[in-house]
Amino acid sequence: MRSVDTTTDPVVVRRLTKRYGRTVAVDDVSFTLKAGTITGFLGPNGAGKSTTLRLLFGLAAPTSGSALVFGHRYAELPAPASAVGAILESGDFHPARSGRGHLRMLALAAGISWERVDEVLAQVELVPKAAARPVRTYSLGMRQRLGLAAALLGQPRLLLLDEPINGLDPTGVHWLRTALRRFAADGGTVLVASHVLAEVAQTVDRVLIINSGRLRADAPIQELADGRNLEDAYLQLIAEAAS
Amino acid sequence: MKTQIRSESYKLVTTRTNLGVAAGMVALIALAVLLHTFGLSLDRLSNVAGQRGVLIDVGVRLGTLFAALLGALAITSEFRTGTIRPTLLVTPRRTKVIAAKSICVLVAGAITGLLAAGTAAGVGSIGLAARGVTIQLTAGDITRLLLGATLAGALWAVIGLGVGAVVRAQVPTIVGLFAWVLFVENILGDVPSWQKFAPGSLGQALGGQVRDGILSSAALAAVLLIAYAALVALAGLTATVRRDVA
Repeated sequence: MRSVDTTTDPVVVRRLTKRYGRTVAVDDVSFTLKAGTITGFLGPNGAGKSTTLRLLFGLAAPTSGSALVFGHRYAELPAPASAVGAILESGDFHPARSGRGHLRMLALAAGISWERVDEVLAQVELVPKAAARPVRTYSLGMRQRLGLAAALLGQPRLLLLDEPINGLDPTGVHWLRTALRRFAADGGTVLVASHVLAEVAQTVDRVLIINSGRLRADAPIQELADGRNLEDAYLQLIAEAAS
Repeated sequence: MKTQIRSESYKLVTTRTNLGVAAGMVALIALAVLLHTFGLSLDRLSNVAGQRGVLIDVGVRLGTLFAALLGALAITSEFRTGTIRPTLLVTPRRTKVIAAKSICVLVAGAITGLLAAGTAAGVGSIGLAARGVTIQLTAGDITRLLLGATLAGALWAVIGLGVGAVVRAQVPTIVGLFAWVLFVENILGDVPSWQKFAPGSLGQALGGQVRDGILSSAALAAVLLIAYAALVALAGLTATVRRDVA
């Protein structure tokens, strides 16, 4: 399997804009993610976080600007599953297919072995009995674990996670936080969109705040919070943007 | 491409949907053929045209319809459940995804068509025998029915896939396909010179149907139905490549 170019920044977004008719979902957004960092992606509902991620994944085409992953448009990555792991907010499982079946179907398409499927299932602590059941029987937390297993399947260097802690129990949250820190310490890059500010404050190095499609802040967490807690800083920024 | 075909064929067999569709089709065909063989007058059933009429009409029509349904489900269920997103994250080249799906539903559609015609021929023979009617169809007629239904099922599955890729929403796609096969093509019977070029009638022609509104050349019917399937598949491909995925 070809590996990705590790000399370019994992994510480079330049003047990214996406319009739907007269609505501007993402408005002239630029940012860069450096290798080995965890970045929090914050903003109110409908601010443009998920749209930005969809543009990065090539699920939607930008109206203008560019979103590059390891120097490529996502669609042109040589082996996308081994470069980027994703959790999308929507879940995206077939309710009648088993968790293991979901991963096997992705593994087949990516040319990844089924042994690796069992490996990631063990990693996210989905026991074989649960993995064999249809996803419709899963709790929200189990779905999140399955989503995470799918993201880790190709041993990617970049994780783009949309609300990965929704529905996770405290053990799961702790496990995820530890796993992400270890991943970044090994040189991996993480972008995590979340509404859980207290969790973000504990985990990330850097924060991007987006509101009404525009990037309002792009700063290291210490600098942004500046002695206050992240929640106060966030609420003030959103209020300023609204006025 | 090979890896994507493996993934797409795995998808077809890992939910019970397609098995259910096949079982429903077999039951429906058996019921329809039995109703015809016991309900129609002996005058109509005792000649070769009448027997051919019943078996091909039911076997090919329902076979192509269910093959189309299978093709449509292969793409619309991905949009309905959202699995289209992980699918495109692993394989962002959408042409590859649609090409692999086309190949897989082509094969699954062929099996569906064969199963449909086999059911019609089998249940029909039993029904006619039970009614005391001599079977006039030759082995050649039956072979033609099985082969024609296989080809028609394969091509109709691709048509279903293409329509599904354009429409994306599952219910409108399925309602549209049912309405076309069971309603629009019937109305076209009023204008036989048009009806014979309709895709459902082309399937009947492949199965060996002989009547007004059906092309007499199987070769021409095959060429036309392949052209329809290719056009609809191309429309589905274009729609998939050019449109955003929500």
